[in-house]
Amino acid sequence: MRAMRLHPAALTLVIIGAVIMMIPLLWVLGLSFKSNAELLADTSRVFSPPYTLENYLNIFGNGEVFRWIINSLIVSLGMTTGVLVISSLAGYAFARLDFPFRNLIFIIVLLGLAVPEQAVIIARHQMFSAVEMHNTYFALIIPGMATPFGVFLMTQYFKAIPKDIDEAALLDGASRFTVFWKVLLPLTIPAQATLGIFVFLTAWNDYWWPLISGTNKEMFTLTVGIASTQQNFAQTEGLGFLMSQAVFAALPILIVYLIFQKYIIQAVAGAAGR
Amino acid sequence: MSGVRLSRISKRFGDVTVIDQVSLDIEAGEFVVFLGPSGCGKSTILRMIAGLETVDDGEIHIGERRVDHLKPGERGVAMVFQNYALYPHMTVRDNLAFGLKNVGTDKQVISKRIDEAAQSLEITALLDRRPGQLSGGQRQRVAIARAIVKEPALFLFDEPLSNLDAALRGRTRLELAQLHQRLGATMVFVTHDQVEAMTLADRIVVLNECKIEQIGSPMEIYRRPATQFVATFVGSPRINLLPVTVNAGTDDKAAIALPNGEQLLTAIPMAKLPEGESFTVGIRPEHARIAEDGVGEVTGTAEVVERLGERCLIYLDLGNGHKLTAEDRGGSTVKAGDTCTVKVKSSRAHLFDSTGKGWHAEGE
Amino acid sequence: MTDTLSVETASIPKVKRRKAVDWDGYLFIAPYLALFLLMIVTPLLIGVWLSFTKGDLFGVERFVGFENFARLAGDPIFREVVWNTLYFVVLTVPTLTILGLALALALNFQTRWAAVLRTIFFSSTVLSVTVVTLVWRLVFLPDGGLLGEISEALGQTPVAWLNDPQLAMPAIAITTIWWCLGLPMVLYLAALQQVPRELYEAAALDGAGRWRTLWSITLPAVRRTTMIVIVIEIILQFQLFGQPQLMTLGGPNNATRPIVLFIYETGWRQWELGYAAAAAQVLFAMIMVAAMAQYFVSSRKEEA
Repeated sequence: MRAMRLHPAALTLVIIGAVIMMIPLLWVLGLSFKSNAELLADTSRVFSPPYTLENYLNIFGNGEVFRWIINSLIVSLGMTTGVLVISSLAGYAFARLDFPFRNLIFIIVLLGLAVPEQAVIIARHQMFSAVEMHNTYFALIIPGMATPFGVFLMTQYFKAIPKDIDEAALLDGASRFTVFWKVLLPLTIPAQATLGIFVFLTAWNDYWWPLISGTNKEMFTLTVGIASTQQNFAQTEGLGFLMSQAVFAALPILIVYLIFQKYIIQAVAGAAGR
Repeated sequence: MSGVRLSRISKRFGDVTVIDQVSLDIEAGEFVVFLGPSGCGKSTILRMIAGLETVDDGEIHIGERRVDHLKPGERGVAMVFQNYALYPHMTVRDNLAFGLKNVGTDKQVISKRIDEAAQSLEITALLDRRPGQLSGGQRQRVAIARAIVKEPALFLFDEPLSNLDAALRGRTRLELAQLHQRLGATMVFVTHDQVEAMTLADRIVVLNECKIEQIGSPMEIYRRPATQFVATFVGSPRINLLPVTVNAGTDDKAAIALPNGEQLLTAIPMAKLPEGESFTVGIRPEHARIAEDGVGEVTGTAEVVERLGERCLIYLDLGNGHKLTAEDRGGSTVKAGDTCTVKVKSSRAHLFDSTGKGWHAEGE
Repeated sequence: MTDTLSVETASIPKVKRRKAVDWDGYLFIAPYLALFLLMIVTPLLIGVWLSFTKGDLFGVERFVGFENFARLAGDPIFREVVWNTLYFVVLTVPTLTILGLALALALNFQTRWAAVLRTIFFSSTVLSVTVVTLVWRLVFLPDGGLLGEISEALGQTPVAWLNDPQLAMPAIAITTIWWCLGLPMVLYLAALQQVPRELYEAAALDGAGRWRTLWSITLPAVRRTTMIVIVIEIILQFQLFGQPQLMTLGGPNNATRPIVLFIYETGWRQWELGYAAAAAQVLFAMIMVAAMAQYFVSSRKEEA
């Protein structure tokens, strides 16, 4: 056990930093439990009662916001499922099968990691316009599924599984698909979890593409919806209501983060360190 | 139970030929060990038999059936891998059942075979665990059980003992020998460990640099090494090699002159030896004993004395860069730095010509 | 008996071997490959083509060569947004790197408190840009905002951060640092955990103190990570978009308008797709230069 301990001065600084990290969030949380009428008069009494649940009840009474939450769920879960399926298939092939131009294709796919959103988003928008597909779940989900990161991660993971496992299965009379489906895929569950959570987070938080593709209010994701109502929030009469939406956007993500912290940090560090 | 016939099989990776026209007949029920240093191609041949490597040329028959174009699962072979290759996400029971399910074996037959195999390998208590919860030795047993339940025509072992510690390796070796006796199945076993080869094999196939050096029973390999490579690879401590000149001795046997000029009479027929060759003599350490009465053929300075209990190994410097390992009794009084005389049992000496081919006394 | 290696030349009838070229892999990669070609390669190429075109009133593009790029070079607003972007990168990247390292050093302990603090410092990273900006607009709001309340409590006049051309960009930088601090921290933590404990034990046996150990053992060990963190952050922060779009709309007086917001507004407010695409190519080139730098730096480090 390392005997080193943090210097008291350093510890104090870190704790102050942690408080700075937390205060804005706690403040928003507090606001969301305040009645809009009270906030219109005074926003300074956030940390003292009375508190109310009216803002949260309003979310369920407000068909629009409820719809955004459902949209966000559909888009995020759809994209996550899609990425897991196609990345697993492709990762297996790149790691295990021998086919012409395999390495060349893999390198080109990896180069795709370097392409920033700005470089493709205008033309992507044009393409969906041309087939009149904007304001559909399809348009919101499909572009995000093309991320090379999933293929990269799954390929690395499949490669890390010892090859003699496949060979043992082949000798056991398994077909190539059985090897993939019954032997290797169950072994990639940790990677699936990492990738799945990462894609879900990215999709839930995505802003630019849903902003320009889902322009009908009915097709807003929660992220875009909050952006649309916050434009003039200083004058808004529903500050507490807006804050409750923000909490709704943040809370599922924070809970997912707290539960799957290990996987998320792995994925984020992996995506960055590639 | 069936034999295996390899007919001039070849394997190339790109331009490199790793197996060059190898032929071999393995009889039904035989235990054959492929022995050789790493990279000699022994695992490649095993994997070609299993179907994990394609065969570029030649034919493989298992029993009467030609198999080199069949998929691995269709060849009726089972393999035990070096790292066991158990399916980590399946219980031991499911590991054993997987291969049987794939070929549509009846459920009751599966569970009966699993129970029998588990009982014979004493892993019944482990059947519901996963490989991650097992020790190395237990995994080894499961891997063997997984092979047994398939009741294959042929068992293949790819260095299966190399990941076990020394004590467990010895025990498993014995158990494998018993298993072979009990099942009477054809087994092909790959190893770089000469002790495994000597103790397990009916026949050893010694390989070096993609070629077969010698095929023979363990004692043939030891007593009549076909090549200098086989002589040095098999036998511990290593055989002593000294350059010699050969001339005719009595009885048509070859006489040799050691580097120090001492003449020895071997039991090797002179007539067969090629003429005008330079030779190397091979003398196993057990045939070079320290002469306590000082009467012997070779004299040198002891550099290191290794005490093994029942005997001692004396590493001698003969001068001129020549070394010799000799044996002495367990209570040897020789110390490093002593000058010793060695008595060579020259009737057991081997000669190797410049191509490495071995020449031996007749008989045995 | 020694030679089963026969070299007879009798010919053996050839049997059909398993097919040499195996295209089955394409079945597995086809779904992804289709998406990749359709959603990344195609728009990338169209984007390059668009940057050489200009749309007329009927939305029909015609080829104009380098006209868009020439216009960008002469556009004072574009020059301003490039400077704004660089200013923002300078404000954020060094701070993120240093704070990330400091936090990692402070929290690289196997204690429960360190774990809780790590969780707190990373938590903001998982929030969406709309939530982050909403929170921080409330913080910076002079009238009733968190900072405003604090300064009033201290008897100061509240500052209108987001309306002040001098302070708006620093405010966005503070927001961004709060949001993005988790990533450099976890990258450094991962690197610190790779440093073999024996190194620290050897240093302790050699009588090295706390600072000496930090300077001679820890910092050299994370040098490569530092390069990676800097380059990743440069690439990320070059793409600044949501924060000013939601907090300041690029104002006041263009002071917080970055390149991506310029692209967005040119493309979706003025519908000058060719011009926007050209600006996107320029940004892409800037990012590629940074990525190249990462490649060269990391490959050189591995040789050493």
